[in-house]
Amino acid sequence: MTEVSCRDPNLVMRLARLGSFHQSRLSFMRILTRRMAREGWRFEQTAFEIDASGVGHAVYTAHGPERAYSLIAYAHDLPAEKRSDRVIAEAWDATFTLFDGIPSTDDIERLSHNIPVQEAGRVTGSELSVSRANRSVRLWEHVVSSLAAGEQPDAAQIEAVGYLMRTTAVYGSGKLGAADREMIADRPEFRVPFQVEMLSVFLTRAFVRDLVQHMADARAANQGATAARLDPDLARSMGIGNSTGLGMAPFLLNHPVLFSNWVAARETALQRVRSVEVASAEEAELFHSLFARNSEAVAHWHSEHPVQVEKLAALRADIAALSAKLEDEGLPEVQPWNSLYLWASEALSVEGQEWLASLMLEPYGALIDDLEDEMAADNTATFRIAGAMTVARLREVLQEVYGWALQTDWTQPANKARAWYVSEEKLEPRLGERFEEPIEEYEQPLAPGRDATALYQALAHWPEDTPVAEFLLRHPEHRHSVRRAQIANRAPYAEIRDNTISENVLPIDMLRCKLAFFGAMHFDPRSDRWVRICMYGNAPFPEELAERDGDFWVYPDAQEG
Amino acid sequence: MNHSLNEIEAMSKRAARGAGLSWGLAEEAAKGTRWLAAFSFPGAEMLADLLTLNDRLPALDFSPAVLSGTWAAPAGRMSPLIAGAAMSDCAVRMEAGQVIEMENVSLPLLVVPFAAGAALRLGVPVSVTWEDARLTTDGQRLCVQGEREAILCSHASTLTCAAPAEMSGQSEPVMRADVDPQAWEKLGEFAHRTYAPATEASRILGAGAGLSDND
Repeated sequence: MTEVSCRDPNLVMRLARLGSFHQSRLSFMRILTRRMAREGWRFEQTAFEIDASGVGHAVYTAHGPERAYSLIAYAHDLPAEKRSDRVIAEAWDATFTLFDGIPSTDDIERLSHNIPVQEAGRVTGSELSVSRANRSVRLWEHVVSSLAAGEQPDAAQIEAVGYLMRTTAVYGSGKLGAADREMIADRPEFRVPFQVEMLSVFLTRAFVRDLVQHMADARAANQGATAARLDPDLARSMGIGNSTGLGMAPFLLNHPVLFSNWVAARETALQRVRSVEVASAEEAELFHSLFARNSEAVAHWHSEHPVQVEKLAALRADIAALSAKLEDEGLPEVQPWNSLYLWASEALSVEGQEWLASLMLEPYGALIDDLEDEMAADNTATFRIAGAMTVARLREVLQEVYGWALQTDWTQPANKARAWYVSEEKLEPRLGERFEEPIEEYEQPLAPGRDATALYQALAHWPEDTPVAEFLLRHPEHRHSVRRAQIANRAPYAEIRDNTISENVLPIDMLRCKLAFFGAMHFDPRSDRWVRICMYGNAPFPEELAERDGDFWVYPDAQEG
Repeated sequence: MNHSLNEIEAMSKRAARGAGLSWGLAEEAAKGTRWLAAFSFPGAEMLADLLTLNDRLPALDFSPAVLSGTWAAPAGRMSPLIAGAAMSDCAVRMEAGQVIEMENVSLPLLVVPFAAGAALRLGVPVSVTWEDARLTTDGQRLCVQGEREAILCSHASTLTCAAPAEMSGQSEPVMRADVDPQAWEKLGEFAHRTYAPATEASRILGAGAGLSDND
């Protein structure tokens, strides 16, 4: 038997690999739906006061074992020219907040002045998130008009888009005055990161389904007819879209401990599964069945972006190769998953390797689901610099964590062609051309490799046994990098080991990595720096959670066969 | 106005950077301001005062000249952020029983969050004492001794940090904070210096134009 260890951060933490991550059992959406199904959460629509033009509000309440949470949705009649997914937009088709408990009439009135204007409004500690969504104009109109004419919408058109509305931001953690994470992090249902945001989107999907039916009913009534009821299977096939731009990329760099915990959970899960000596018949069968369903999901994944088109072609070839191998040889008998993984690491593209890595975790919930409890982070203890560390030790740490950066020639313009900055407008993070735009003086500390190299060079002439405290007294400009290095020394997956400012950097790699941990599917880059995804496609609706699969819904045909 | 602690931290970090602190110190100033606000102290207001006092002046002028004896800054007044950070860096000295002593510290309350960090690192409470005020923390809770006026004073002629210290009558953090609107505005002005002016080109290029976002 071979001892399997966790994968080396130098292999995992490269942008090309992080940008090929897929959802898994440990994705935040699935952790939430598993919990709600397990705990028997109850859901109710307590208000739906929306007129025939689509303006008004609705409330959806989720009752957990100890507490209730309510999505308050405000629906608007948005003129077409105001519809934009960019963060700089000022109006949306629908706006939302997740309320802590059950809102009073006064709460709904108070929030009706603040939620529809999003960043221009203020909320309180009773609100856990603030978000907004726009319609897919094409699909929305098709579904409304089909239903109003008494017909079901066309499945092919639904599949081509995948969602009726897409969120363009879901703010949590104290944004706009909402509750800080610390206020709720000790509740079991919110211990795992981003559960507030995932619950908000889960309820948003039910609202959107109800709203499209309401609009179809109103149109039909206007013509003296009765609309068709949207087929539940068609409804379920649709998720909530999301457009994510650069705002999300710095998150991974700004939360190194948290990010390390996410990656470490998945890597530990992979290590445990690869260490399994023999797969039982049930485990093998579940794997084969999900393999087929997941292959189907890939067949329905579309993108026009050249990078993703190429990755998808490679993934489809990888799946064919895997499939042929499994058919010819079956699962290896001894350490089947390790054997398969090692084969894949030679034979498949990175996209295919990570697809398989996520998939082989599926039969092993009992072995790995406890890792979800380790994905949160409390930064306070790791935030302080250990000033007693010697200069010699700090140099060693820098060599271990930033080896790639110390070998990079940072005088070459191509290696630092970009700069991250925050624009005056809506405080939106952006990525600019260092040598073409006047942005360098506004640069954010989002190039850890370059900055660690500068620190390494500044340390060169200091005596080995000097405490770092003495060095930092003279060089406060390096405090940021010393802290990062010390964090990465303890949290192995804290640092992206790649150049975040090179002329070749693809910010969509960072976006995809984060979104994969959320549980998103069907990544569709729309440029090098924003990406569309789909969330909760095929998921049970709230009222279906009790009788349908709360876990494997991510893979199509969850109920068939 | 009532703010979340996250908002206070985000604003403080940008403001401290805008007033010329290094990113690392700005991060620590922000965590500290948040920590004080969580205990209902006017952390944001005091940070605004400090940034105004030392606006874009060289950090080394307000840093301890050496980390031995009584710490003193070349410019005759010490930044509580720089001194606090250095004290936290030297936390192990207090574990060995050494008292860290410094003189002429501006807005001494701003040192206390760094004692909280040191206490977490050492695993024992750390006390910060100046004139008629003494604050002791184990990192999670705070024990306050002294009149409000002494605690919020703008200058301490001597200040000492020591561990292990006794905790008695401690308070737990609260999760919301009211910040004086003028101080918030002042922090906003400092923060504004860190934002690149928007141009049409950056709006399109910087955020990444691509396929239509509306279909």
